[in-house]
Amino acid sequence: MLYVQMLVNGIMLGALYACLAIGFSLVWGVLNVINMLHGSLLVLGGYLTYTAWHDYGVHPLIALFAVAFALFLLGYAIQRILINRVVDMPVLVTMTLTFALDLILYNFMIVYFTATPVRVTLNLGVIDAGGIFVPVDRLAGMVLALLLTGLLYVVLRRSRIGRAIVAVRMDRSAAMLMGIRVEHIYAITFGIGALMAGATGAVFAMVYPMTTDLDFTFLGKAFIVCIIGGLGSVQGALVGGLVLGLVESIAGQFLGPQYALTAGFALMLVLLVAMPTGLTGVKGFE
Amino acid sequence: MKFVSRHCLWLAFASAIAVMALSGAPAQADDVIKIGAPLALTGPLAVESKKQEVVWNMWVAKVNASGGINVGGKKMNVKLVEYDYQSDGQRAAQLAEKLITDDKVNFLFAPFGSGHTKIVASVAERYQMPLIACSSSAETVYNQGFKYLFGLLAANGASNAIIVKYIKTKAPSIKSIAIYGRDDVFPKSMASGVAEAAKAAGLNVAYNNYYPVGTIDHSSGLSAIKAAKPDWIYVTGYTSDLILIRKQMSDLGVTAPVVTMVAGPAYKEYTDALGNLANGITSWTWWHPAVNYQGVGVWPTTQSFVKDFVAKEHVEPDYIHASCAAAGVILANAIERAGTLDHQKVRDALASTNITTFYGPIKYAANGLNEAGSIPIIQIQNKQIKVLYPDGVKNADLELMK
Repeated sequence: MLYVQMLVNGIMLGALYACLAIGFSLVWGVLNVINMLHGSLLVLGGYLTYTAWHDYGVHPLIALFAVAFALFLLGYAIQRILINRVVDMPVLVTMTLTFALDLILYNFMIVYFTATPVRVTLNLGVIDAGGIFVPVDRLAGMVLALLLTGLLYVVLRRSRIGRAIVAVRMDRSAAMLMGIRVEHIYAITFGIGALMAGATGAVFAMVYPMTTDLDFTFLGKAFIVCIIGGLGSVQGALVGGLVLGLVESIAGQFLGPQYALTAGFALMLVLLVAMPTGLTGVKGFE
Repeated sequence: MKFVSRHCLWLAFASAIAVMALSGAPAQADDVIKIGAPLALTGPLAVESKKQEVVWNMWVAKVNASGGINVGGKKMNVKLVEYDYQSDGQRAAQLAEKLITDDKVNFLFAPFGSGHTKIVASVAERYQMPLIACSSSAETVYNQGFKYLFGLLAANGASNAIIVKYIKTKAPSIKSIAIYGRDDVFPKSMASGVAEAAKAAGLNVAYNNYYPVGTIDHSSGLSAIKAAKPDWIYVTGYTSDLILIRKQMSDLGVTAPVVTMVAGPAYKEYTDALGNLANGITSWTWWHPAVNYQGVGVWPTTQSFVKDFVAKEHVEPDYIHASCAAAGVILANAIERAGTLDHQKVRDALASTNITTFYGPIKYAANGLNEAGSIPIIQIQNKQIKVLYPDGVKNADLELMK
């Protein structure tokens, strides 16, 4: 029974990790920008959802859409106005720029929201399936995470804009020659990354206590998931997230909670050496 | 002619400014006691540090409104000189040095937490500057041989034996304990301390593990605790950890007759984030508004401090507010007893402090720890904090959780 619970815990955690990393992976894969702002955008999404729920009585599932859209606009504007100016420069330059933006956003949130932990207390209850406990809010979080991930997959595969994003990711020059406005696609991609961060933040606010200090925790998880699963694809983030969730859960059970994070990092190191493209990665995205 | 007169005018103006500055500066320096405060107004410690800033400003306003501090028969006003060290310990040390050498403050208040207090204490010691620490309780800060460091909080170690003895007395059926602590300075020392105290008291330590900083899922640790079936679950960490752990305990059906969490339940945000799930959780704290002390200083009773604080902030104060406000009270008391601002004499007056304030009794051990400090045990009942111990201030009895 304990082992089944362990697997259930791992899968639910893994789905959230996948959702957390997907926007980060997409931006890295398509723009070659390591978006240090991603963790703070996620925290911002969480705080906006909490504020909508706590101060205005808006249900978090409704707030999620408004928050995601607002962050899409923010992400689009950031890319178009700031990052676009240096997007062709070495990755260290864009990384430094997004790090600076992260510091600004982080301190803004400290001042505006304070670092006090907050949580959307829906308390939806627990499903007791013969001694296996499945918290409903986590289950809902997992379903939402999978739905968002699936939706993004469909958008990338079926829609015109999605195919343009994939085209830019595969060959920027060829995409330009085919008439794709690369700058616009870059901004849309960054906007989608921010949208996913905002939506994930809304999901996390229902499951975890949010504090402004979580930005680098989330960013670190996104890094590990991308390296395990592979960059720039929905399936990479999904596989990476699920694997990391399961590894942390199993290691925490057998080795003790203090080794759960270490096990995730160890797997990341092994994959960096043995499979630089990750478990599902495409060659060229090492 | 015109040039000369204009020139003379500027000269006269500049001379007037210079005379005002020269005559004004020493008078200002003589009339005001400057207290330096490196504060973490931005960064991860911003919330806690802002609590310090609020009560220090309250204390300064209260002292100045009452005419100031009596220094050898002369009433002197108080001025707080503060800088934001952005939650960066090294920057706290640099700013403490700047406060001492550039701003020439008379005394220092320590920043939030044991870690940063320890860093600033080494600077204060170098300049023989009395330093009052209101939020540092780790013995490791006070066992450095510092002569100018004086704390308000009772030492961590004492709390473990007190709470183990209390729980064993009030709930004799408790035979085993599971301990789950954050792998960080203060929470780890609390977790290891309670494990030793529990073993010494004859309890079976059924589970004893640490979780790393940055953990955002506690399912595996809590599932193992559930399997161990302890009578008492003791968790240490910071507020956001403890909120998450309590929530996941409920999610995974992890229960015990006594659940203790250190030190989040003392804060209002813990109950706000958990709602009914907070009920039944026990903890301990260094101070609670329900205590009722009478003593020296601008707040003669606990109630007078609580009343002033609520009028200003519209919430009840917690132990950080109280201990930091009391830091001002004991400094003023020491200055008045010393009758001078001389560092050595004020330091000696602090060392011989044996008074009661609205915060509680203050008496210093040789290492600068407040050996008279009390440690109330609390429990959240109906989303309100109730004091279970000590008997003199208790307003409720322990309620078992199942």
